Amino acid sequence: MKAWHIGVRSIGRNRRRTFVTTAAMAFGGAIMIFYATLVSGFMDTLERNALLMETGDLQVHAPGYRRDPDLYKTIKAPAAIVAELESIGLKAAPRLYGFGLAAAGASSAGVQIRGVQVNRERQVTRLHSHVKQGQWLDPSVPSEVVLGRKLAKTLHVAVGDEVVVVSQASDGATANELYTVRGVLGSVGDGLDRAGFFVTEAAFRQLLVVPEGAHEIAAIRIDRGVDLGAVTQAAVQRTEGLDTQNWRELQPLLAQMMDTTYAGQSFMLIITYLAVAMVVLNATLMSVFERIREFGVMKALGVPPWGVAQVVFFEVMTQGLIAMSLAIAAGYGVSKYFEVHGMDMSSMTSGASMMGIAFDPIWYTRVTLAGVLVPAVSLLLVVLLAAIYPGVKAAVISPAEAMHHV
Amino acid sequence: MRRSSRTALMVTAILSLGLSAPAAAAEPLDIQAYLNEIDDMWRGTSSKASITMHVKTAHYERKMKMKAWSKGKEKSLIRIMKPLKEKGTVTLKSGDDIYTYLPKTDRTIRLSSGMMMGSWMGSHFTNDDLVKESRLLDDYRAHKAAERTVEGRHVIDIQLTPKEDAAVVWGKIVTSFDTDRRVPLRHTYYDEDGAVVRTMTFSNFETVQKKLRPLTMRIVPAEEPEEFTEIIYNSLSFGEQIKDSFFSLGRLKRR
Repeated sequence: MKAWHIGVRSIGRNRRRTFVTTAAMAFGGAIMIFYATLVSGFMDTLERNALLMETGDLQVHAPGYRRDPDLYKTIKAPAAIVAELESIGLKAAPRLYGFGLAAAGASSAGVQIRGVQVNRERQVTRLHSHVKQGQWLDPSVPSEVVLGRKLAKTLHVAVGDEVVVVSQASDGATANELYTVRGVLGSVGDGLDRAGFFVTEAAFRQLLVVPEGAHEIAAIRIDRGVDLGAVTQAAVQRTEGLDTQNWRELQPLLAQMMDTTYAGQSFMLIITYLAVAMVVLNATLMSVFERIREFGVMKALGVPPWGVAQVVFFEVMTQGLIAMSLAIAAGYGVSKYFEVHGMDMSSMTSGASMMGIAFDPIWYTRVTLAGVLVPAVSLLLVVLLAAIYPGVKAAVISPAEAMHHV
Repeated sequence: MRRSSRTALMVTAILSLGLSAPAAAAEPLDIQAYLNEIDDMWRGTSSKASITMHVKTAHYERKMKMKAWSKGKEKSLIRIMKPLKEKGTVTLKSGDDIYTYLPKTDRTIRLSSGMMMGSWMGSHFTNDDLVKESRLLDDYRAHKAAERTVEGRHVIDIQLTPKEDAAVVWGKIVTSFDTDRRVPLRHTYYDEDGAVVRTMTFSNFETVQKKLRPLTMRIVPAEEPEEFTEIIYNSLSFGEQIKDSFFSLGRLKRR
């Protein structure tokens, strides 16, 4: 009789135990699949809001600008730098920054005036698709501006309203101009929401008397699969004399948090599967002890130790395979549901932002092949590992000892 | 437990009150008099002035002409006459608020608290300097730090340290005062770490309204010793009759 035949048949010996053990395995697996897809979804949101809305993959500044930003620390020939960056598989956009006071009616607020090259910015960030009311900037209408969400609220303005901005131009004179609100952005992050005042490049240059240069060049990988470190190195080489950093260096806290979350995911996997392994170990060990006579007889009849161990392995593996299939079915199903519908966490999370990055209280999962397969395959491996000890126990049994149990 | 800690707090509060009250009144009368003289040097109960401001920074140099009116310590108004580009721009200080009237956009804006440390008209003065033109003795505790003789005149250094509840940005100010001529010579402003932030020197002493007054002030930031803002009073008169309505928002654009 084949070992697998005996193994599979043994599953039916104690149906209740088999059911409980398999269910525990399947439940653990399904939870881990769901958790993995949830983390993926969470990271996607973070990355989208932090990088694709504002930071980009890497940024170039004039030396010293990041430490102490002022109107005069500009990159002298931004067009050449943009061309250099685009020659190594990046899309780049120059930006201009100034500070000022925006006022409408009796309300006023400090703003960061952001001059953007609309056509280039469109290729680097997704701000243009994140306009909640009205429309994104149009380079042919420099008298119209787009505001951050909270800023519009502070100033009590909506699309079509007038807003005046006051600042100090590079020649020391008082700069002031009247603009019309063209659009209001959705929530992006604390800084942009509160102080984001987007104007066209032409409007910025005229207002603050900055005829040339740029304060920042943001770039993004065209192919997101390309290694960030390698691209950064190439960019640093091509922007000599300037300050070039990737987002991991620009936002170390965010990078650290993303790393910790992935590490936390592995940790969760280990803890959950350790519990599953203990259930499996216990159940299999019990099953081996119950059938100690059977194994004794097998050995007495000349079955080699490996043959006896195989019986135990096949028994566990069959349960593991069933559990894995159930876990994939349940985990995938649940994750897929929340990928579309989202989970409303607004009652559990206090704010709508995290480390300054806007956060939607509705969490979406993101189902990926790795997100499903890694927890599922790990489950099977863990279950098989847990069967080693009971298997060995059954294999090394001495026939005389086993018979003694009669 | 909670009650006893609260009692302890109250005891501490009463003790510190008891200690600080006499300290607050401890400024010798002569120092109080000197500080009051400094406060009244350019304003009095009401004043009217014609001013030239010369600003030099690493990036630009500009000269402006302006007219200024003040009444009490609460109200003042400065109107830019030159350059042409900014002619008609008005800064109105009323209590703790600063308003700017911008003729180009025909708007009056109240400066938010976030703008207070920003430069006023591109100079080395901050908007906060305008608001904080209140009486030194209101915000600071004063004591004599040193005295010496300069060019045969008796000069004392008065150290001003902010009172606990005073909303001021300086760690301390040291004022050099010529007690013979009764004029200030120099203010040195320190940050909270005790480093010099800027120095204001007074010169061009002339007698206006029976009193010797410095008609030129020059402010130099410690970090950029090449830069400065110089204010010269071309004319200064006191005791003019100015109505309160002169300082109202509605009047800003009509002038």
